[in-house]
This record gives sequence, C-alpha cells and structure tokens, in this order.
Amino acid sequence: MLLWLAAGAAVALWLLLLAALALATRNPDVVAAPPTGDLAPHSPAIVDLITGHWKLCDEAPSATLLDLASRGVVRIEEIGPELSLVRLRRDPGDLRPYEKLVYDHVMSLAVDGVVATGALAEGSRNLGRWWKSFRKKVIVEARALGLSRPRWSRAQAALLTAAAAVPSLAVAVAVTMSDDERQGGPGAAVVTFALLLALMGRLNGERGTPDGARAAGQWLGVREHLAATGRFAEQPAASVTIWGRHLAYAAALGLAPRAVAGLPVGVPADDRRAWSDYGGMWHVVRVRYPRRMLWAREPLPMLFYALAAGFFAGFWTWMALLVASAFGLWPDTLVRPTFLAVAAVVAGVPLWYAVVDLTGKAEIEGQIVRLRRFQAGTKGNNDPKYAYWCAIDDGRAREVKAYGIGERLWSSLSEGERVRARVGRKLGWIDAIEVIERSRLQGTAGYDDTEEHRVVAPENLGEVRIFDPRQE
Amino acid sequence: MITLISIAVIAVLLCLAAVSLYNRLVRGRGAVDNAWAQIDVQLKRRHDLIPNLVETVKGYASHERQALEAVVAARSRAVGAQTPKDQAAAEDALSGALKGLFALAEAYPDLKASRNFSELQEELSDTENRIAYTRQYYNDAVLTYNNAIQTVPANIVAGMTGFAPREYFQAPGEERGPVQVRF
Repeated sequence: MLLWLAAGAAVALWLLLLAALALATRNPDVVAAPPTGDLAPHSPAIVDLITGHWKLCDEAPSATLLDLASRGVVRIEEIGPELSLVRLRRDPGDLRPYEKLVYDHVMSLAVDGVVATGALAEGSRNLGRWWKSFRKKVIVEARALGLSRPRWSRAQAALLTAAAAVPSLAVAVAVTMSDDERQGGPGAAVVTFALLLALMGRLNGERGTPDGARAAGQWLGVREHLAATGRFAEQPAASVTIWGRHLAYAAALGLAPRAVAGLPVGVPADDRRAWSDYGGMWHVVRVRYPRRMLWAREPLPMLFYALAAGFFAGFWTWMALLVASAFGLWPDTLVRPTFLAVAAVVAGVPLWYAVVDLTGKAEIEGQIVRLRRFQAGTKGNNDPKYAYWCAIDDGRAREVKAYGIGERLWSSLSEGERVRARVGRKLGWIDAIEVIERSRLQGTAGYDDTEEHRVVAPENLGEVRIFDPRQE
Repeated sequence: MITLISIAVIAVLLCLAAVSLYNRLVRGRGAVDNAWAQIDVQLKRRHDLIPNLVETVKGYASHERQALEAVVAARSRAVGAQTPKDQAAAEDALSGALKGLFALAEAYPDLKASRNFSELQEELSDTENRIAYTRQYYNDAVLTYNNAIQTVPANIVAGMTGFAPREYFQAPGEERGPVQVRF
C-alpha cells in the first residue's frame, strides 16, 4: 500500500511539474491595437497563424492565393455567378515556400493557364500531406521571424522526459511488490513512461513569442479597421482586382468567408459536385450515387439473387395461400397461379436486368471524375464492407450516375484518367475498364517535404486569450 | 360537400404546383439572360480591343490592306449581329480574320517585337478564352432551361405562360462543345 502511495505521489509530482511548465510556456496575452490600416510586411498565412491562437486555420491557403492574385502572379476573373477563373499570369519569381506550394497546385490543374476556382479542390494530391507541408512551411517562416516557437524547449523536454522516469520506476516497484510472480514491473514501467510522454506531447504545440503577440495585436487592429471599412464578407474572390491585398488579409483574418469559399485550395473535393476538364475546359459535373436496389450490382450474382428472391417470395406466398384456402379465404384453384405469379414478378425484373447486362454491354469513353467508396454494412468479422463507385464524364451531360465497380479495378484507377469502360446500363456495373490516357494531374502536384520533417511542429491544442479593448 | 372540398383541395394543390414550376422557369430564364450578359461583356471587350490592334498593325504593315479590312469588316458584322446564332457565326468569322492577321505578323519582326502588339495579342487571347468559358456557361444554362420547359409537367406551364426555347451560342453546323482559339 505504501509503495502504491509513493508511486501515486511520484506521478502527482510529475504532473505538477508538467502543469508548472505548461503555465510558464503558455501563449502570451494578445491585446488588440487601436484600429489601423497599416499592413505590416507579414504574409496573410503568417497573419492567419498568429491571430488564430498560433493555429493555422482553413482560410490560410485561400488567403495566400488571394495574395498571389493581388501581386499579379495570378488573376481571378468572374465569368458568372457560379464560375470564376484563376489565370496564371507571369513568371511567379521568388515565392515563399508555402506560396509556391499553392502556386504549384494551381499550375498543376491549369488548362491553357486557366483553372476554374471551384476546381481548386480537385487534383491527385494527398490533401493531408499537402496541408501538413503547407503548415510546416508557414511555421518555419513564423519561427524565423521570431513570431512563434514550439512550446517545449529542448531543455524542458529533456527535463520532463528524465523526470518521467521517476514515477515510472515507482509504479514498476509497486507492481512488482504486489505481484505474486514478481513479473509485471518492467511492463508497468514502460506503459507509465509512454503515457506520461504522450501527455507531454499532447500539451506541446506552437506558441507565440512576445514579438508574435505584439504583431498579433497589431493585426487585430487591422482586422477592426477592415471590418469597419469594407464589406468583405460579401466580396467574391474576383473582387481582389479592386481590393488588392486588403482582401487577402481580410480572408486571413476571417472577414471574407465568401472569397475563401470561392477558392477551395485546402479543402477536400465534393463527392457530388465534380469539376472536370474533359473536352479541354473546366466544367461542373453533378455526380449521383443511386441507392436503389438494382443499381451498381454485378449481373452474374444478381441472377442467383433474383432466383432466390423469386423462390422465397413464391414459397411464402404459397404457404400463406394454403392457410388462407384452408379457411376458405382463397380459392384452391388460384393458389398455384398466384404464388407462381408472385415469384415471377419478384424474380422477373432483376432477372431481365441481369440477362440484358450479361448479353450486351455498353461502351463509354470519358474521364473519371470521382472514385469513391462508401461503407455498406459490415462483414462477418465486423470489418467494414465497402461499395466502390466510379463516375465517368463522357462529355454528353452535366449530370452523371456513378457506376458500381469491383475493388480490384477500383484500386487501379485514379481520378482524371481517360478511360474506356464496358458497363451494364441496367444494373450500372463496370465489368471492364481500360485506361486510355493517364491523369495529367498525377504526380504534378508533387511537393518537396523531405527536409521539413525535421521541423517538430505538433498541432497547437492550447488557446490564447484575446482581449477586446472595447470590453476593457 | 366532400366532393367539393376534394375538388377545392386538388385545385389549390395544382395551383401551388403551377406557381412553383413557373418560378423555376423564371429562375432558369433569368440564368440564361445573365449568362448572355456575361458573353456580351466579353464580346464587347474583344470588339473594343480590335481597333487598337488594327492601328498598331497599320503602323508596321500598312500595305496589308486586305487582311486589315477583313478584320474591320468582320468586327462590324459581329457588332451588328442580333441573335445568338448570328452572333456566334459572326464571332467565328472574326476569330478567323484575327488569326489571319496574327499569322501575317510573323512576317514583320518589328511588329512582332512591338510591346503594344504583344500586349494586345495576349489580351485578345485571354478574352477569347473568357469568351469560350462564358459560351460554355451560357450553353449549359440554355440546356437546363430548354430541358425544363420541354419536360412534363413544366411544359404545360411553359406553354401557357409563353416560355420559348432559347438558341445555343453556336454557329450553324458547329457541334456543341468547347471551342478553343489560340493565336
């Protein structure tokens, strides 16, 4: 008991040390400066980081693109209420690493130097990795400018790690002494040590420096000025031609949601609204995933399902009619024709569909606009079971139905590939698919993030208090 | 009494459905008009750029009268065109004439090197691209609208209230689809 008490005390002391260090390394208080129109030489992404509790928000990539537009690297043109274009203008010159990341993404999508703004969410990049790379590049610059720092310095991390050994050993001793076989100690020590380090890692994150807090305060003053002078919330991305860098900073400061939504650079592509460049120009294709029973089904198994469904429907109808006729509720002579008719109706439609699809396939040629898998129940061992979908834009309509496809074929395909597919028109199943041309998007959005993995920049989970001068 | 109430309820439901369909058709027609206005903006921009281009070319190749006159005449026809079909045909002819003019510039190194000329060429090229996008946008809006007024039951409301199908922005004999012009 005494040993357990000692172990508990050791853990408590370590937690106390952690809390003390966390308190000492918390974000500095940010006090908003008086409203001002002076724009400091920080990029919108940096502004987003330091004014967002040192946590990069979703607006940062869009604000960066708006900044590039305001500097003439790209041009944003409005064509209609639902269509704007980003046009690459000239040699971008020296861009910051995260600006280059955004520029390269736009360039990878551009057809003849033009991409529709809605299509910015498309592409073959791994969004998670792209976002991580963007964030690290911003943090590297913020640290270089002295505006940001990691929460734990090396000395603090070393101290906490070394100190965590004490409660781990104490727990190990307590477990060993209370275990009859004296075997659980090392395991308990490892588990305790890992838990304490995980807690320490969880509290880590990007924190502001005093300079960063001052800069953030200054930018909050700019935010107030922009909020009072411009109706940025209603401005589309194309209005950057008029508002220039102010719109980019308004986006970074959370004042321009419409412009940000119009430039979906850092968000995943919509499942049901795809942008396709099949035919040479970007256009919207609405994708439907029909949930009806007789769609996205393989024809051959459907034959057996249809026969089984017909058999069971006929059997239960027959049983019911036998009982009904025994009580004189149904004429004996109609029992057989009725249950046969029910069986034929239940089995007939799927059988017909399956036979039509097995005997004659349609061939479609176009570009894959969506490859998706959705969970469709679970297998016997509780593993998720997926339905695989492939939507092809053949250039004939602006709305397409996604077809069902086998997992093996699905995993060999990529969005943006030009394909020729053999499909069943009735059951909507892709039987065979041949890639005519690889996706031009594949690999083009490559980005070098090999070096930056050395930068330790865990997500910031803490918050900083922001004092509103009006409330003081 | 029940029959009367039933008839009244059905009549009200039919009226509501008709109003809803009518509003949908009005929205569709508005979208087509708006898309046409966007095309108009881009075409006007192109028409405004051409006199400057002609003047610039004249400065270096004044004796190439035929090509210059072809561009001027094609522009006049394009400016005067009324219906989308006529406009599309006139714009296609204008694009052809401009292509001829730019091909001509290859023979005049001084003209090609002129900053004014290259800026105008780039501006016209961007405008062509925008016209292609606005045209796609307009044709999509027309397709949606025409489908709406020709499908049951909206075609009944469309017929009673005078919604007529719109023309696509395409020259006669031209297939619907993206057209890209590069100078």
